[in-house]
Amino acid sequence: MPGGVVAEDLVKRFGSFVALKGVDFVAPEGRVTGLLGPNGAGKTTAIRILTTLLHPDGGRATVAGYDVVAQPQLVRSVIGLTGQYTAVDEDLTGRENLVLIGRLGRMAKRAAAERGAELLAVFGLSDAADRPLRTYSGGMRRRLDLAASLMFAPPVLFLDEPTTGLDPRSRLELWDVITELRQRGTTIVLTTQYLEEADHLTDTISVIDAGHIIAEGTADELKTKVGGDVLHLTLVERADTRRAAGALARAFGVPETELTVDLELGTVLVPVAAGSVALVEAVRTLDAASVHVADLGVRRPSLDDVFLSLTGHVAEELRPEAAAPRGRRTVVGG
Amino acid sequence: MTAVTTSTATVTPEARAALPPSRVLADIGLVAGRNLRKVARNTRLIVFSTIQPLMQLILFAYVFAAVAHVPGLNYKDFVVPAVLVQTMTFAAMGSGVGIANDMQTGMVDRFRSLPIARSAFLVGRTTSDSLRLGIQCVILIAAALIIGFRFHAGVPAAIGMGVVLVLFGMALTAFSAWVGLSVGDPETVQAAVFIPILPLIFTSSAFAPVSRLPGWMQPVARVNPITSAIDTARGLALGDGTLYRVSQTHLGTAAWHFALWWVLIVAVFTALAVRRYRLG
Repeated sequence: MPGGVVAEDLVKRFGSFVALKGVDFVAPEGRVTGLLGPNGAGKTTAIRILTTLLHPDGGRATVAGYDVVAQPQLVRSVIGLTGQYTAVDEDLTGRENLVLIGRLGRMAKRAAAERGAELLAVFGLSDAADRPLRTYSGGMRRRLDLAASLMFAPPVLFLDEPTTGLDPRSRLELWDVITELRQRGTTIVLTTQYLEEADHLTDTISVIDAGHIIAEGTADELKTKVGGDVLHLTLVERADTRRAAGALARAFGVPETELTVDLELGTVLVPVAAGSVALVEAVRTLDAASVHVADLGVRRPSLDDVFLSLTGHVAEELRPEAAAPRGRRTVVGG
Repeated sequence: MTAVTTSTATVTPEARAALPPSRVLADIGLVAGRNLRKVARNTRLIVFSTIQPLMQLILFAYVFAAVAHVPGLNYKDFVVPAVLVQTMTFAAMGSGVGIANDMQTGMVDRFRSLPIARSAFLVGRTTSDSLRLGIQCVILIAAALIIGFRFHAGVPAAIGMGVVLVLFGMALTAFSAWVGLSVGDPETVQAAVFIPILPLIFTSSAFAPVSRLPGWMQPVARVNPITSAIDTARGLALGDGTLYRVSQTHLGTAAWHFALWWVLIVAVFTALAVRRYRLG
């Protein structure tokens, strides 16, 4: 797999703290591979080793066939990196930033200027091209940062939490760019704390926790590992919630404690073995109990469920500010 | 959105990774140019970093002259070379702050992940900072001449003094760069670099001849690198005879000490800074 990224048994220590405890990781050429994990799991450390910013203490890794320790200069000539912090110069204009990176990336002055203008247009920054970055919004900076990483069209692109801190619209725009890049054959390694993002963008996912890869596969495969489907029900009358839950528990022979019941929202979640069969059964049961149903459906478990079952803790995105309004209701949606 | 991946250049990875000397120089030039552009954009920084040494110059030349006295020499002529050395020292500390800033904003990572010469970031920084120091030096010498400072040893020696000042500042940028890379936070760097610098300035021949300093301080002052820079600058500005009269040191000795310190500072701190930069 010469074009992709291969890491074998990567180990990295910071003093007595072992950040990577033997990470095996493969990102096939031309695919988007997600590295998913909470803060401190080792995502960024892994990316820094793969992009030659950090020396591993053990193991080996190649990017596009080049060894990250023995041939770092060649690795650097085939990669683009967008880190967690927007690495663009505040005092320069958007255009100047791109031209500088392009020229440092071995482009002729003229070619760098043309490519810079092109990318500014692609990322909707043409109007702001000659303004210093101080006047840019967070989303604009992120886009410029990504544009800088794409200046010399690297065949391998590393995106370390590219959408952290972005507003929803900027996030969607970035998703489009990533999808486009994938279609054009760029190998992408993407780290994220957002399960939804990994689900949406990646071909395969490696879940990392506490310095270990704990699971690998497509989003679907990971979901299958967790088990069956989830039946979700929303009632018209919230008062019916408890009665509906009881009826469903009896119908599916599940103890009521395994149902997730939200009396305030009037929703019930039931773990079921086979979704489509369960749906028919549920309609009959609810009809017989004569409760009014606003919404009823079956879905695969979300990556949130996967993460919870693999790591034993909730994904990072739900911890800080998002935790308050959404609470523990991680299984809703998706 | 084809533009995202259509490369305008068809350069092979090997060609892009190659580092002939011309590329190394070009990379240094690009980094230095970027740093200078940043300086030029920060008009407030330019104004304040010019006003501050001017105020020091006036303070030392007029206020200190009223209380301090060096036999056989106008105190203004005595103190101006020292104020210039001090200014270069302080200005050189800006290097570390700039580098820490680049670390904090991710620019260092950006540069380190590009196929550029590993030396370009640090050498580019030293290059742009030396130019900045040179400009500052010229402005201050002009101001000193306006308030009555005079060179006593001719134009070539005066130019030599300017070169010594910038060289000294350049050596200290290596120290400052190492602190900047080690600490990584601009505000902390600012505080950290002055911990060794301030005592060195005040235990040097800057404001009084070494022979008039407290006895215990005199040996420290004699081996102090700042003394070597000040005495060399003074000798070039005032002539060897005057230098010997006020400090019992010949210009040759001072210059020799200065050269030794310069090589030592540059070698040690460049090695440390490069190591820091490589480790990331």
